[in-house]
Amino acid sequence: MSPGESVMVTRLLVSVVDDDESVRESLPDLLRELGFVAHAFSSAQEFLASGFVDETRCLILDIAMPGMTGLDLQRELKLRRQEIPIVFITARRDEAVRPLVLERGAVECLFKPFSDTALLNAVNAALRVN
Amino acid sequence: MPRAEEGLLVPFYVNGKAVGTIWAVAHDNRRRFDAEDLRLLERMSRFASAAYQTVASIENLKLQMSAREKAETELRELTNGLEAQVRARTEALARAQSELAHVARVTSLGALTASIAHEVNQPLSGIITNASTCLRMLAADPPNVEGARETARRTIRDGNRASDVITRLRALFSKKEATTESVDLNEATREVIALSLSELQRNRVILRTELADDVPLVTGDRVQLQQVVLNLLQNASDAMRGVDDRPRQLLIRTEREEGDRVRLSVQDAGVGLDPQAMDRLFEAFYTTKNDGMGIGLSISRSIIERHRGYLWAASNDGPGATFSFFIPCGPGSVTSARSLGAIQTPATKDAE
Repeated sequence: MSPGESVMVTRLLVSVVDDDESVRESLPDLLRELGFVAHAFSSAQEFLASGFVDETRCLILDIAMPGMTGLDLQRELKLRRQEIPIVFITARRDEAVRPLVLERGAVECLFKPFSDTALLNAVNAALRVN
Repeated sequence: MPRAEEGLLVPFYVNGKAVGTIWAVAHDNRRRFDAEDLRLLERMSRFASAAYQTVASIENLKLQMSAREKAETELRELTNGLEAQVRARTEALARAQSELAHVARVTSLGALTASIAHEVNQPLSGIITNASTCLRMLAADPPNVEGARETARRTIRDGNRASDVITRLRALFSKKEATTESVDLNEATREVIALSLSELQRNRVILRTELADDVPLVTGDRVQLQQVVLNLLQNASDAMRGVDDRPRQLLIRTEREEGDRVRLSVQDAGVGLDPQAMDRLFEAFYTTKNDGMGIGLSISRSIIERHRGYLWAASNDGPGATFSFFIPCGPGSVTSARSLGAIQTPATKDAE
């Protein structure tokens, strides 16, 4: 399949919010390779102000960020009635966190580092929620 | 007994009180009592009085002696009991102390492990994501060679990042056991800062360092001194967690002091110290944090005291507090290697 115009518009936007630069640099590239449109933001505030909120079909969200945390952003989106499926990612391998965020409505919680298949499965699960 | 014809009764006294009477009885009337008999009896009554007093005071003395003996026995029992109590208390205290040291090891190790895991997982995440992207770019038709080259470059860079973390950790834990060696406090502090940096940034702490160039080497255990610095840094950062109306500034300073001492101080702009609680700050299990165990400062103080130094806290002129310690430099500045070993961390033991 060639990346023609008509195909581009049907591609789904996955947004990445993470304060770690190497994640913002690497993850969108992988998501593009997996066939999605991807944008990266360094903070929750930047994402909220970006104008991509409505378009985003799946949000890959770091839990621990300075200022507004991933959980704060999840709450904020709920208040705004923006029900974007969320895949949390975190470098802190705390098994207690996973059930906690899943209970709050997240689709998945991935511990860094995660494989491309784990990522693809999580994003596909998020898109099925749509 | 024959009928008495005549009698002579002479009472005798102790302290003016009659305690007895001497009787003389004549059973026939061939002879009558005369003045001489009376005088004789009166003398006898004086002897009887003296004898009575003597017996009474001997009885009294016996009573006193037995009372004293009883008191002494009771005292001895009490003393024995006290000794046993002191012994039991001392043993309990020793147990509590070793438990405390264990808890301190486990908690500081737990915090450190989480911090290390975070530091290593970040670059690992970059490596795996970039490598996956690289493979997919190469597998595409036609292969995206330029993209693959770029992601491979990033993979190497993140690999180096992970390697740097490991190098810092090895520097931190290279010591096999608690030893006394020459320690560059500036260098030791920089290593701690490097490991805490992302945590500090996460808490939006603005870190400033003023490490004096002329700080002499101190003799001591580097890992233990680094534990103290780490503890002071974490406390300072925690104290500013709720601060939003001013910059969360943290200043670490080292300086040479008169009398051949080195001083390190950590100044924060946090909630400050409660003057009422100043005395309790360094007590074990005293904490102002919701998630704190209240052992960091007590362990830190004992480490600094083992280095013949002193750790103290003071309120700033402005907001926040400053925690400082000094340790003497030069040889013999540690009490003994053995006492240092008592609070060695399991991590350093495992490294053997």
